[in-house]
Amino acid sequence: MNRLTWRWVPATIVIGLFASLSSGCIATGGGYGYDGNVGLGLGYYEPAGVVYGGWGGGYRVAPFRGGDHRAGPSGGHAYRSAPASRSAPSIPSRSRGGNSRGGDSRSH
Amino acid sequence: MQSQRRPNLIGCLATRSLLVALLSVASAGLAAGAASPLPPLVDPASQEHHVGKVVFVELVTPDLAAAKQFYGGLFGWTFRDIRSGNTEYAAASLDGRAVAGLIHKEFSTGEHHQPAWLTVIAVRDVDSTRDLAVQHGAKVLFAPRSVPDRGREAVLADPQGAVFAVLTSTSGDPPDVLAAPGEWIWSSLITRDPDADAAFYQTLFDYEVFDLPAVEGAQHLLLATDNYARASANSWPASNPTVHPHWLNYVRVEDADESAKKAVALGGRILVEPRVDRHGGKIAVIADPAGAAFGLLEWSDTQSKEVTQ
Repeated sequence: MNRLTWRWVPATIVIGLFASLSSGCIATGGGYGYDGNVGLGLGYYEPAGVVYGGWGGGYRVAPFRGGDHRAGPSGGHAYRSAPASRSAPSIPSRSRGGNSRGGDSRSH
Repeated sequence: MQSQRRPNLIGCLATRSLLVALLSVASAGLAAGAASPLPPLVDPASQEHHVGKVVFVELVTPDLAAAKQFYGGLFGWTFRDIRSGNTEYAAASLDGRAVAGLIHKEFSTGEHHQPAWLTVIAVRDVDSTRDLAVQHGAKVLFAPRSVPDRGREAVLADPQGAVFAVLTSTSGDPPDVLAAPGEWIWSSLITRDPDADAAFYQTLFDYEVFDLPAVEGAQHLLLATDNYARASANSWPASNPTVHPHWLNYVRVEDADESAKKAVALGGRILVEPRVDRHGGKIAVIADPAGAAFGLLEWSDTQSKEVTQ
């Protein structure tokens, strides 16, 4: 009985080590702050170098209220530009439980 | 007789103790690695899907308690703590709706990283999106995986290095309604080459791309799906060309000036002072106490009540 019990010790060590190590194995993204220890959610630290400043008066990032845009010439951009006939949409304007006004300030 | 049996008894006890210890280590390891249920994105679940919409954001922070105090004080968020193994997660909500996830993770000052909010964009199929992204120059930072009650998700870096996540939510996507104050309302990709990045994200999410008027030498591209603006792709400020490409997310506030002051009082820093942006929307950029950047956007709910400069 005693000898049988001792036979289980090495097997248990192997199983325990395997379980412990395998539980920490996830895909990693070198240089992006993933170290595989998060377990919940997506553990992410951004690469250093995000610096703010220099937002001059003409620098714009906010949503549009709808209206004209500059439809580029065909082939002038890496992306496919929306046609000039389309007006640029805005963010949703319907409140929860309210009526939808759609995302485009113009009716089509 | 007794002296012969005593070593056996001690050996047996030692063996049992060792077995218990090993099983504890193994089960602790499994518990730490197992995915615990996170709150669903939408509760009750919906059948809505809005590919290309920013549907969630997650923050990794070295001081979870400080982050909860900061964001709770600034936006009125409340938190539900979830613990799995060694990981602490705080599910943030506003009026019962999930607004964010906060994850604690140790951070050493020697690392060339900084805390950040991770932008999560809705897709129909995470795995095929990953494949498509890789074909067009993206890197996989976190391979697709399924999270109980949340969905399937992956983290990618676009060809210029901006990091984002994609998610197929099992509870559907949040509805297209105007964000309430304290909820996320807008996202901007600030990047070296908006033209190329817009093409990349258009490939992934089938965005309509609108080129908006911008100052000389800058680009302001609007990315839209379902006839709604989802985000912008901006060139970074010409006077600050060293910035790392990144996504910046904005919380809607009623008064950007007051919120910025409050953020400072709570331990944050103002990175960009409140300023009037396009169509009267007022913008500020804030760093939380750990340095994670986010935006404030003062946005009126009717076009006739635009903020004036």
